[in-house]
Amino acid sequence: MSDVTTKELRIVGFLCNWCSYGGADTAGVARAKQPTDLRIIRVPCSGRVDPLFIVRALFLGADGVLVSGCHPRDCHYSTGNFYARRRLEVLKQFLPILGIDSRRFEYTWVSASEGQRWQHVVTTFTEQIHSLGAAPKFMDVEPKEFKLGARVSTPILPLGAGQDQPLKELKTAIKEALPKLEVVIGWQQGRDPLHAVPLFMRKAEDVDKLIWGPCNVHNVATYLREYQGHKVGLVLKACDARSVIELLQENLASREDLTLFSLPCQGTFDYGRVEQCIGRYTQLSDVQFTQSAATVMVDGTSKTLPYAEYMQSKCLRCTSRLPKLVDISFGTDPTEDAKDARESAESLPPELALVESLSLEERMAFWRASMERCIRCGACRNSCPMCICRDHCISDTRDPHFMTQADTFLEKLFFQVIHALHLAGRCTECGECQRSCPLGIPILALRQKLNRIISELFAGYQAGSDPSQVPPLLCYAVEEPKIKEREW
Amino acid sequence: MRIGVFICHCGSNIGGTVDCAEVAKRAAAMPDVVYATDPMYTCAEPGQAAIEEAIHTHALDGVVVASCSPRMHEPTFRRTVERAGLNPFMFEMANIREHVSWIGKDVELNTHKATELVGMAVEKLRRNVPLHSQEFPVIKRVLVIGGGVAGIQAALDCADGGLDVVLVEREATIGGKMAKLDKTFPTVDCSACILGPKMVDCAQHPKITLYAQSEVEDIGGYVGNFQVKIKKRATYVDWHKCTGCGTCMEKCPKKDVPDRFNEGVAPTKAITIAFPQAIPKKAVINPDYCRQLTQGKCGVCAKVCPTKAIQYDMVDEIVTEEVGAIVAATGYDLVDWHVYQEYGGGRYPDVITSLAYERLMNASGPTGGHIVRPSDGREPKTIVFVQCVGSRDPSIGRPGCSGFCCMYTAKQAILTKEHIPDSKSYVFYMDIRAAGKMYDEFTRRAMEEYGTDYIRGRVSMIYPDGQGQLTVLGMDTLLGQQIEIKADLVVLAVGIEASHGAKELAEKLRISYDSAGFFLESHVKLKPVETNTAGVFVAGVCQGTKDIPASVAQGSACAAKVLGLLAKDTLSSNPQIASVNTLRCVVCGKCVQTCPFGAIKQVEERGRPQIRVIETMCQGCGLCTSTCPQGAIQLAHATDNQILAEVNALCQM
Amino acid sequence: MSAYSYLTAQEIPTLVERLAPHFEQVLVPTEQKGVKESVIFAPWTKGSPISLAKATVPPKAAVFPKCETLFSYKIEKDTQDAPKLTLNPEIYAPKTLIFAARPCDALGLNILDRPFLQSHYVDPYYAAKRDKLCVVTLTCPSGCENCFCHWVGIGPAATQGADIVLTAIKSGYVAQAMTQKGQELLEKCAFKDGTDKVPEVNQARKAAWESLKPAPDLSQIHSTLAQSFADLDFWTQETQACLSCGACTYFCPTCYCFTITDEGDAQSPQGGQRLRSQDNCMAQLYTREASGHNPRPNKALRMRNRVTHKYMTYKETWGAFACSGCGRCIQHCPVGLDIRAILLAAIARTTNTPDMQGGK
Repeated sequence: MSDVTTKELRIVGFLCNWCSYGGADTAGVARAKQPTDLRIIRVPCSGRVDPLFIVRALFLGADGVLVSGCHPRDCHYSTGNFYARRRLEVLKQFLPILGIDSRRFEYTWVSASEGQRWQHVVTTFTEQIHSLGAAPKFMDVEPKEFKLGARVSTPILPLGAGQDQPLKELKTAIKEALPKLEVVIGWQQGRDPLHAVPLFMRKAEDVDKLIWGPCNVHNVATYLREYQGHKVGLVLKACDARSVIELLQENLASREDLTLFSLPCQGTFDYGRVEQCIGRYTQLSDVQFTQSAATVMVDGTSKTLPYAEYMQSKCLRCTSRLPKLVDISFGTDPTEDAKDARESAESLPPELALVESLSLEERMAFWRASMERCIRCGACRNSCPMCICRDHCISDTRDPHFMTQADTFLEKLFFQVIHALHLAGRCTECGECQRSCPLGIPILALRQKLNRIISELFAGYQAGSDPSQVPPLLCYAVEEPKIKEREW
Repeated sequence: MRIGVFICHCGSNIGGTVDCAEVAKRAAAMPDVVYATDPMYTCAEPGQAAIEEAIHTHALDGVVVASCSPRMHEPTFRRTVERAGLNPFMFEMANIREHVSWIGKDVELNTHKATELVGMAVEKLRRNVPLHSQEFPVIKRVLVIGGGVAGIQAALDCADGGLDVVLVEREATIGGKMAKLDKTFPTVDCSACILGPKMVDCAQHPKITLYAQSEVEDIGGYVGNFQVKIKKRATYVDWHKCTGCGTCMEKCPKKDVPDRFNEGVAPTKAITIAFPQAIPKKAVINPDYCRQLTQGKCGVCAKVCPTKAIQYDMVDEIVTEEVGAIVAATGYDLVDWHVYQEYGGGRYPDVITSLAYERLMNASGPTGGHIVRPSDGREPKTIVFVQCVGSRDPSIGRPGCSGFCCMYTAKQAILTKEHIPDSKSYVFYMDIRAAGKMYDEFTRRAMEEYGTDYIRGRVSMIYPDGQGQLTVLGMDTLLGQQIEIKADLVVLAVGIEASHGAKELAEKLRISYDSAGFFLESHVKLKPVETNTAGVFVAGVCQGTKDIPASVAQGSACAAKVLGLLAKDTLSSNPQIASVNTLRCVVCGKCVQTCPFGAIKQVEERGRPQIRVIETMCQGCGLCTSTCPQGAIQLAHATDNQILAEVNALCQM
Repeated sequence: MSAYSYLTAQEIPTLVERLAPHFEQVLVPTEQKGVKESVIFAPWTKGSPISLAKATVPPKAAVFPKCETLFSYKIEKDTQDAPKLTLNPEIYAPKTLIFAARPCDALGLNILDRPFLQSHYVDPYYAAKRDKLCVVTLTCPSGCENCFCHWVGIGPAATQGADIVLTAIKSGYVAQAMTQKGQELLEKCAFKDGTDKVPEVNQARKAAWESLKPAPDLSQIHSTLAQSFADLDFWTQETQACLSCGACTYFCPTCYCFTITDEGDAQSPQGGQRLRSQDNCMAQLYTREASGHNPRPNKALRMRNRVTHKYMTYKETWGAFACSGCGRCIQHCPVGLDIRAILLAAIARTTNTPDMQGGK
């Protein structure tokens, strides 16, 4: 053991009471010399360790965080550390996207009899943190903005509009189903023909207002929580349907209550781009959806919006245009054409590609610049179909008091971390959080990263693909083929 | 809040490397701290009295003691503050001994660290609230797992104390390893003669229910209220009808079945009664070898059985027992010595284990107590005993001493001489460990009275010489010379490890085990038979190596603990459990899904779904709290705010 | 000297540069990168780019920050005496210039002034900032699809609340001083006299007005809303799409609700702070009572509060709308909920309900 003689760094340990805390005691009883930097917080079980504690500690300036529990299969509470293992591994892989070196956080297993091993773990981890040095502070990093790179150049499936015949059939079907349903949620024209808003169909004449096309950006599954236990119909795009499936997976919706309608989706607008093209206007008319583009008269000038350029990035990468689970659908599904195009679907989306292209320090600068303009309006949270807490968000309460009201970028970034981690393994990447952000903060990157981590760790798991699957962080496996036990 | 802080010197244990007075001085400046001092021994009676006095004098409503591990003295100090009228949970401990003074020598760094740990404890305490236990009824029955001598002793003592006992034994008979032994050291008493009566007592005791040929399948519940699923493996013999007459065994045509009870010394039949004194003395069919069961033809035993007890279609059966406490006494198995290629790796029939040698010497064994060579049935004249095979050997991951091999090897050497007066015995040893009453005298007798040749050194190689003998090459480290002995029989004193399946059982019991699979006691000195799971106790070699008297003592110790525990009609629940803030809960059910104990349920309350924690089932792990996205379910005494306070305290210092 | 100065388009940065020495901070519309373009008022330093687009976020925070420390407090322990509590009020009020706000932003400040300055209690935190504030607005060249300032009594060329008004003309900009403060500042900037450009300015203002669609008559909207107030079906119907997020209030230049929280620990070395943060009536915590009961349990009641406060209760108290028609609530709503549509629906509901009219 080499002595850590330099200045102490701030290292926080979370140790389970039964194994690792006992192991640390055993090491003490054996007078096993250890570096002094570590401060131990005793918790009942490694499963008690909320990953948010770790992020909180790192945000507050901890240079390293160590979690240690009972060995897998030997948890005092039988399965607590199985859950911990999944959550902590996901967190460890997630930290770098925030600009935090993943080596600043480790988790391991030490039993109460393993005093020597504990000594080894503490020494090794402390040396690791000292070799990394004091953690860079977000506060010390100059905010810096970076521009998004290019998107997928060609869409995997043809984009487009114009499904007049199937839409007619769909309206007829909804009218037929309506007597048995409290409401059917879809879209109608909003303030002008280029903007849609959600439509709540209760009467037959409401159904006539239904539209289908590139303006239907909203994920109507977001409303499902309000209608839990009610008979409702939803008109779904394929991506919205994944949110419904995820809600079914979590028993937050009941399949018998739902009647699901759909048409093949051919992409929806990225309004950030659309607004950039058409600018500020007073009069908008003559919107035409052709096969390859939309044309529109804006204050007397004709503008063209080619779909490949103006659709959402997720639509360019979409490989499944018709939801799996629908009850009633019309039109033909172009999905068959997408078989050869998996590769571009698997390439990094632009938000994530941008953050991943940055160094750790640049990522901190990026998040600082991005979050400084956040005004905490809550649109990202409330438009998320998987944000089930609604009025009871942990960020709004003082019990528990995870967040203060202070308007600092770090608090606001912490909120994004809460949102992302609470969505880990549940996010269907519908992108509503980012679409809803009036300030265009690329918060989707955090969710995209988590989804890729989850998919890699848990056999390609994708939230919202199969109603019978259990979200991976709400279950465990005794053997985790993709999670490496850390040797030290 | 008014907090008192006590920084214990623990003599020089802490005071030697931590400036306790300085820590107390810094603690006095911490939030809400109104009194801070640094007593010499806080846990001693005057120390505890000083805490009580300070609570009264300074009107304290919370106490922090910085001393040893809370795993050691938290209960002690909780009682102290309770005596002074505080709720026991208005107390926090900072571990500045095991985690500070004993692991570093730098006084300045240690003092700094101790101060921060105290600061953290103060911040936690400031968010503590009084917690109250609930009473719940206990089931006055005990489960004993393992029917060796430790388990038998625990079962008998519990039953004599008035408890109903469920004794589960994996083999067809109780008795364990002791039942296989010929004689016991250092008195050379007959093993069966002293164990036999206890086995019979077990079988006949009205308060003991014996499940032989059975295993524990699953354990649920908690102290005072365990639910145990026991799998009764199929015996293919109706034990209600079987009289143990042995006719079936005699007539069974299948004659080449390996005999586990006799350690493979001689083959046995496909239907067996393990040994004449077996309890229960009932026949069992080995389904892997029985011709009727493997090939569907034979049926001899069914024909000859006078009581028609044979039942080929029997299947495994699961029974559920409810008990208030559990004693694990699962014993040991031998280390797999076949890894030692230099000793033949099992290829030479005349290299045997000491346990097999016991069966050779035993009058009820397959040879009727005649020592013969397994290869040709000849009486051996030169016998070499090799000690520490699979013990004290870090190269195979078994660095520990198996404890009793020195003694039984001496015993076997003595008995060999008595069986075969013209024989010569050699013992290769590393050190002789004979620390017990009359033990060293006993090994001396083996050397001096019985002329056993003790050679200090290791055997490097054993190989057949081609003329029916084994060549044993070794080193005499005292004389510094090579030794070569032509032996008729080599007996290996094979080391021990926890019996197979012990780890799986530990996982079911939620107790810890070490690398050899031995169960971990709650405290190495002061709680040798308790475990970290309330209501679960350990006796005998399953906890670590020990000889018969120590195993018996632990069996009795467990019984005393169980009788004490179940003497009460009710137990107090642990108040450190989860509770739901129904105003904030959105009934998403994630806690219900992840709770390891099924202690969280969704219920209807006034027509609305709600989440409820079943207080006696909650074990206080807090998995629900870290799962709940709203933080609406909080584990008392480890709430989010309490842990956040500790994080904040550490990171903002 | 004349109230008008003329400058070319290239001289906009020069104007800011010349104004800046008279202020401790200058907030200018600044473009932000991201997945969509946004513009926020950010502190200007020499050379930083200035956008003249309408800002995504109104400049309200200059006087009513997202979060401000009212005072900090600390308890210091003394082993001899009782602990001592010290309070340090913190009023942060730098001399501030808001540059190139829009008329609706400036009107928003006037709307905030009434509750903060004109009630029986003058808010010192607001007053200090407001007193040191100078506003330069930019005449809107036209209306836009979301904004409806002419519904609430102003228009794209309104000058209320501005110290200096900039108007774009073909050849550049005319800066017009509206107040004494503005006049003095403009004089110090020493640009060319712009009096001769006044006809062009009037022309630009007229063009901006002419771009607007006709506005409905909102003169009776307060009584219309009063009649609809108890009609829960109406509010439920109108707010079906609402997500209760609060973006509409946080982006509103006139919303002034706040919450007060104590953060930190009086006894810690850092001490504690009492914070005042913008709050929003879409949140359940806004009205939740200590008992746990919430008189506004759902989004319909919350949105009703927002709408009726703006056009009914504020008007009853102050004689004006608490809305400057900027349209940000419509633009930034994730589901495109349109407050104009609610007003029109309320009017339609009253006209079409003979019963209610009979009850007048």
